Amino acid sequence: MAVALVKERYQSKVGEVVIGATAAEGGTRTSVVKVGGDSTLPFLHFEGKVENRAAIALEVTDVPPAWSDTVKGQYGDVINDPVAWAKKCVEEYNADMIYLKLIGANPEGENRSPEECAKVVKDVLAAVGVPLIVAGCEDPEKDNEVLAAVAEATSGENLLIGIAEQDNYKSITAAAMVHKHNLIARSPLDINICKQLNILISEMGLPLNRIVIDPMIGGLGYGIEYAYSIMERARLGSLANDKMLSMPMICTVGYEANRAKEANASAEEFPGWGDLNDRAILWEALTAAGLLQVGASILLMRNPAAVKLVQQNIADLMEMNA
Amino acid sequence: MEKFQVKFMPDQQVIEVEQGTSLLKAASQAGIFIKSSCGGKGTCGACKVTVISGEAKSERTGNLSPEQLSRGVRLSCHTFVEGDLTVEVPPESRLQAHQVLLEDANAALLTETSKDLLTYYGYHPLARKVNIRCSEPTLTDNAGDWTRLSIELKRVLQSDKPLTIPLSVLQTLPETLRQAHWDLSVILTDLESGYTVLHVEPANDRPCYGLAIDVGTTTVVVYLVDLDSGEIVDKQGSYNKQAQFGDDVISRIVYAVDSTENMAEIQKAVVDTVNVLIEGILERQSLTSQNIASAVIAGNTTMSQLFLGINPRYIRLEPYIPTVNSTPAVSAREIGLRLLPEALIHTYPSVASYVGGDIVSGALATDMANSDEIILFIDIGTNGEIVLGNKDWLVSCACSAGPCFEGGGILFGMRAMPGAIERVDIDPESLDVKLKVVGKIAPVGICGSGLVDCLAKLRKAGIIDRAGNFQLEHPSQSARIRATEDDKEFVLAWAHQAGGDKDIVISENDVKNLIRAKGAIYAGIRSLLQTVALEIDMIERIVIGGGFGNYLNVHDSVEIGLLPDLPQEKFEFIGNSSVKGARLALLSQKAWNEAADLARKMTYIELSIGTTFMDEFVSALFLPHTDLSLFPSVEGTF
Repeated sequence: MAVALVKERYQSKVGEVVIGATAAEGGTRTSVVKVGGDSTLPFLHFEGKVENRAAIALEVTDVPPAWSDTVKGQYGDVINDPVAWAKKCVEEYNADMIYLKLIGANPEGENRSPEECAKVVKDVLAAVGVPLIVAGCEDPEKDNEVLAAVAEATSGENLLIGIAEQDNYKSITAAAMVHKHNLIARSPLDINICKQLNILISEMGLPLNRIVIDPMIGGLGYGIEYAYSIMERARLGSLANDKMLSMPMICTVGYEANRAKEANASAEEFPGWGDLNDRAILWEALTAAGLLQVGASILLMRNPAAVKLVQQNIADLMEMNA
Repeated sequence: MEKFQVKFMPDQQVIEVEQGTSLLKAASQAGIFIKSSCGGKGTCGACKVTVISGEAKSERTGNLSPEQLSRGVRLSCHTFVEGDLTVEVPPESRLQAHQVLLEDANAALLTETSKDLLTYYGYHPLARKVNIRCSEPTLTDNAGDWTRLSIELKRVLQSDKPLTIPLSVLQTLPETLRQAHWDLSVILTDLESGYTVLHVEPANDRPCYGLAIDVGTTTVVVYLVDLDSGEIVDKQGSYNKQAQFGDDVISRIVYAVDSTENMAEIQKAVVDTVNVLIEGILERQSLTSQNIASAVIAGNTTMSQLFLGINPRYIRLEPYIPTVNSTPAVSAREIGLRLLPEALIHTYPSVASYVGGDIVSGALATDMANSDEIILFIDIGTNGEIVLGNKDWLVSCACSAGPCFEGGGILFGMRAMPGAIERVDIDPESLDVKLKVVGKIAPVGICGSGLVDCLAKLRKAGIIDRAGNFQLEHPSQSARIRATEDDKEFVLAWAHQAGGDKDIVISENDVKNLIRAKGAIYAGIRSLLQTVALEIDMIERIVIGGGFGNYLNVHDSVEIGLLPDLPQEKFEFIGNSSVKGARLALLSQKAWNEAADLARKMTYIELSIGTTFMDEFVSALFLPHTDLSLFPSVEGTF
């Protein structure tokens, strides 16, 4: 008996967001990254169009981070120099974008001024040609100042900046609007708050195709299933024409996966868990792979070896299966 | 234990209490009732008093400022008598001040439709009075007094139902019969199970009365009903004196189960509340308690159990089990209510821990269980009970909206009474404010309808965003938007306009409280609909009950997302449906039987199970809602 392939018909698709701008577009990037645009569930090429490949951004910090040696070891000395570090990420590890996290701005730490922070961003922009994602130090007041300065100093580059949250979205939204950048909207694993935040931001006048959703994922073994179902709901929402859920999604895979004990504890300590190096790579790679299945568009990653695996995984998934 | 005198000012009331008694308790014993929203846990700060002189020990000072402490301000619940004291109770700490119920619906903004179901159910009161004449005993007719009386009664009543008489009535019967020269008025219950003689007196044509009583968490309402004509002769309402032990049912349960003494105290508080109301009515009508033969009480499950002195502990503990849903009738003597001592008090049956007799009573009054149409019945009150259904099925839930709309938990919240702001207009550019105040006097606070309106207008003027966050950087730069030490607020009336020394404000906390309250109600409606897989527009009629319902503006309520966006003509107000249902039962045995049926038929939906309610709740914490397509008539207006 012949089997008819069941194909779902969706009313709508995920919005497309463009990050970065070339010289022709008023920026200085040598390439831009497009994310979103899919008109089907992830990688179901047979019933809709998978418009853009998921992009990977490698994390670079302005001051040396407190990461595990298994990750830091792969970078060597460049970890002390954000410019050289970013170059290595692009040239050696084929990062689609650089995720520059300005932890040096933290008032409890180095407490760098907004101007100093903006300068680091400019330096990295000068060193690499890929688009940049820039986030602050997670101190809301300081971030508002820092990101305003960064947005202004990089006007025309069409960055993706963050983080806007429900209690603190106005300053950063205004900065993104005035200086024409894209914005990360972060909500705590709640589809309704996610949607509310997008409404609040878009009502300030930022176009919907400049917003990227950060659903605040949990790493493998630490709440990933919540993120998985929330992201799936968001994707189904966008396909059902819910405009306020139709943004591409960004996932802080590197941060969440690498704070799991499994990515840090040695085999001596937990013999049953096996070799730490392999385990740490897989912990991050599997977190990413799981979230790709529910529509992650931008993966923020740390471990170069994990990145390599995920790049291969994405390439395989992008093969036609119609 | 040493005893000391505490003098309360400005009442000049003096009371002697044991050392270590809390000022909250001492005040209650002195007949001064102090607000205690948290139930005496020292967290709400509602029970502030000022110690003018004498010795007291404070165990907790809550969030009192150093300045207040230096003036002698203390939390009365955690301040204990250590010597003779003089204490001042400020008006804002008093229960009466803002909470007297405006029972009469004259000030209502909307007309309420009332439907007299009495004709449908048939007139057959639960108690009645009959006049009879017994034959006098002789040497040849030497039957006992009770035999004599019962034979004559059965003849007059023309019924085979059993007839009983309690011992207490028997004890005085012989003298009564003879004093009356065998010409008698007999008051008796008339129930399906039989007749019970409640009282025998010399023949007279005084009417016999019954009481329909709504015991609300916040307010108590008593109707005096003539059992012969069915007319409501008088009404009286007041705040529930249990409020001194907490604003909501949970804090009262916590208080009640702490000790048997507390339990007795909290029961007495509500019995006292009802007794004071009864006395007021009796005095006005020149009646005595002997004239009242029956009472039907409708209250939520916690109120019913506390009224009857039944341990409510497990109502609030998982899996939320009430002791009893259908309570047997008890005599007035047993619970100390001022009726005929043998009169029966009938308590409306409950459905579950948080859907009680008041809702069953209300549902009976809406007649939804006989309707073909799908009806949504909402009691907009502290507990936020909702019933959905028709003659085929009924589902119910309680969404715990909180006392916001009754003015509770809001800085300047109050009931709809003179001085309450009921409408607000805000110029979107200058942020100038125009107010409409009940009684056209200087404003003293905001009532529920004012709060609903205020929320919509704050949003329209851009003072708050859809999530309720205040916009301190509003382009008007109006001085009305300001930040205080721990909150943000909008000035509705300056102190000089309010005729007081304080500006009347609505704070960000108030706004968030209101959004949570309205979100809870809307989420409850959506959850019930999801349970039966129906859409909002399949609701054919929405009946709104509860004291606040009368003052509610449908348009405003839809605009903030409190009520579904349905055509205005689908909405209907029923007022205090609980007391209406109580009256119906009082006057109709058939209605009373139907109520028991209704309670059994209603399916209770536990909202704490599963993700539905929480999901709906969060999506309703937005103005008007996260899914703007649910509010098509509102979508463009913000």
